[in-house]
Amino acid sequence: MANIIDVPKPRINSSMLSQHINRPVCFVGRVEKVHPTGKTFTVSDGEGKVATVELNDPLEEELSGAVEVIGMVSNKGVIMATTYNMLREDKGIPFDVQLYNEALKIIHDFPQHYPFEGAASG
Amino acid sequence: MSARLTEGAVEALMKGTGVSNTVLQLMNAKQIANNPPRIRLILSDGVHTSASFIIATQLNHLFNEDQLEPYCVCLLKKVLVNTLKDGRRAVVVMDMEIIKSAEEVGEKIGDPVPYNSDNKPSSQEGGDSNSPPSTSEVEKDNSFSWKNNTTPQKHLPSTPPSTSSDHRKSFFKSNNTPSPQKSFLSTPPSTSSRPGPYNKNSNTPSPQKSFSSTPPSTPTRPGPYNKNSTPSPSKGRGRGFAGKSPMKTGDTSPGPPAKVIPISALNPYQSKWTVRARVTNKSKVRTWSNSKGEGKLFSFEIVDESGEIKITAFNNEVDKFFSLVEQGKVYFISKATLKAANKQFNTLKHEYEMTLHGHSSIVLCDDGEGVPDIHCDFVPISELEQREKDTIIDVIGVCKSAEDISRITTKTSREVSKRALSLMDMSGKVVTATLWGEEAEKFDGSGQPIVAIKGARLSDFGGRSLSALFSSTILVNPDIPAAFRLRAWFDREGHAVDSQSLTEARPVGSGARMNWKTLSDVKTEHMGHREKADYFSCVATVVYIRKENCLYQACPSSDCNKKVLDQHNGLYRCEKCNRDYPNFQYRLLLSANLADFGDNQWVTCFQETAEVLLGHSAERLGQLRETDEEAFELVFQKANFTTHIFKNRVKLETYNDESRVKVTVLEILPMDHRDYARRLVANIHKMSDSA
Repeated sequence: MANIIDVPKPRINSSMLSQHINRPVCFVGRVEKVHPTGKTFTVSDGEGKVATVELNDPLEEELSGAVEVIGMVSNKGVIMATTYNMLREDKGIPFDVQLYNEALKIIHDFPQHYPFEGAASG
Repeated sequence: MSARLTEGAVEALMKGTGVSNTVLQLMNAKQIANNPPRIRLILSDGVHTSASFIIATQLNHLFNEDQLEPYCVCLLKKVLVNTLKDGRRAVVVMDMEIIKSAEEVGEKIGDPVPYNSDNKPSSQEGGDSNSPPSTSEVEKDNSFSWKNNTTPQKHLPSTPPSTSSDHRKSFFKSNNTPSPQKSFLSTPPSTSSRPGPYNKNSNTPSPQKSFSSTPPSTPTRPGPYNKNSTPSPSKGRGRGFAGKSPMKTGDTSPGPPAKVIPISALNPYQSKWTVRARVTNKSKVRTWSNSKGEGKLFSFEIVDESGEIKITAFNNEVDKFFSLVEQGKVYFISKATLKAANKQFNTLKHEYEMTLHGHSSIVLCDDGEGVPDIHCDFVPISELEQREKDTIIDVIGVCKSAEDISRITTKTSREVSKRALSLMDMSGKVVTATLWGEEAEKFDGSGQPIVAIKGARLSDFGGRSLSALFSSTILVNPDIPAAFRLRAWFDREGHAVDSQSLTEARPVGSGARMNWKTLSDVKTEHMGHREKADYFSCVATVVYIRKENCLYQACPSSDCNKKVLDQHNGLYRCEKCNRDYPNFQYRLLLSANLADFGDNQWVTCFQETAEVLLGHSAERLGQLRETDEEAFELVFQKANFTTHIFKNRVKLETYNDESRVKVTVLEILPMDHRDYARRLVANIHKMSDSA
């Protein structure tokens, strides 16, 4: 998992989790519930489906709103996060997860026009 | 690769049996009327061809899109067999699908011959001229020239009529009855016929009287054929049948009505029908008085599983039906005039609308099961920007807030109440909806209810806003799934969403139709080359702004922007005003280069747009240029590589033998990423759909 940052990470939603088991992914969604331990939380994607994220270290801040999580998908479909970042919504423009989902579907439906995998070489 | 056609289907249809899901090959398609356009098809089942097919107008697009190529194979999912006055059949295709294209098939299947009613194939017993099952035949043979029209037979089983042929055959021969074939046809051939009902003088039980109101399952259906046995049928016979349906025989049986057809199938070419639907919108009685006279009317809309339609009652019918018809209740309605919908007053999607007349029948139906409460096509509030103004749409949203009632006086000096509500839906966008009159007065906005408005008018007031019309229906906390979803969403997260309202005093840019182009389109489409200038909007990034000569000294008088000449004596001369002034005004005239993914374009920005781009007034910039060079440069640096929405005017201009396409920026709007992204997604979908 070293250098997950350097590797192309397809953007996915909950429906695509099962196709990306043991692969690095980027998941964007809205924070639903944070577990009291702070080590796991759930996110909902643009289709409303929920995914679970697990962290190595517990959260040190309040997590809410739209968040982008980068990590590996475990066998059980849980995202083992290496890093996350909250998407800023303070400028009055909320993050439109549904619109993001539409774009996501397009990227996956037309891989010939969005050859991301090949792009990041070295 | 020839598909299997439903042999015998053409004959069955021509005989009046409404077989469904038949597979036929198209021989030809032709437009035969103009207003509205009607398309006639010549179809073959491999054995016979017939030109007696016409497609319902909702299928006209198949013709317009060239899908109806000769030799393609079609599946006729739903048909209506009408009988014309002269006995011929006209099959109206209500729903069909092209299952094999002309290219795939490439040739005529089988060796069909034109179907001719005289060709009675031996499917009939004896096949003699009076084979009864198809009344048309009977009619023809007995030279009955009148026919009435309706034979709704959508999904009758395709059992060939011959099951009971014998009886009928013999019976008819002797009878010579000008039976209203409608009822006959509504007899599914599967009736095991028996001589009884046919008997002339048999004890004709009452159901026969209002034969058309006899459900198909009653074996005594054929009663009406009896010439003189029952009063009603005779009344119903003869010409003009279409006007006076036998149902109106005084004692219209209040019981189970005749075949109920869906609202979507109503059309003026069919006079015998009944619909079972719920009243969704009942208006008040209104009176009018004009040069042609005066009168009163009221209207209401009905809905069933298939659709909705508007019904109007005038004068006498108002008295008769106004108190009977109640909003929310389900009724059996039959016998009314169908005509093309007047889109000026009718905002429903049905092509036709109904007018009640003296013989119309509206009977309360106790069992409203299956009939929807209302039919709405809700438009997400975020999409309202994309819709054209003045369209009638349905919306549903949470009423976040409602203003108090205000009373205003209209142009006609009427005082009317008004209330503005803020509606928000899951798109996060908010729009202001205005209620008027009684609706405004009785509206209760407490508790942030879910409000659904059906038939509201979209206006570009304040960008985008909605106005309830006289004909709109306002529902508060309606019992529909969309409302529950909204409530759940709102309670969960919606209440916290920072919403954006579409209704603000914002410049027209948000609501008006924008002609979106990319910079490469300017060249590829040769924009500006025509007589008049072209206007377009685009998303672009500033990549260069010319600092030199961006400012000029202009005449200080308002409205005159002409460059003044420095007289070097403290005075500045304006040639246009023909005056000298002791001062000048700095004005901006910017030359900038914009770029997008495809191309770049030099544009000119005058004072107003230049100030928006640079974020400073011309005066300030003038000062900076004189006093603080660095700060002056910084302004330009900061403006560089900013992305905005540009509204432009492009025109080919000629100056001393040289022609150049000049682009002027008329307005600069802040970049709206969501809007842009939505547009791109929509464009991609459009492209992939047509691919």
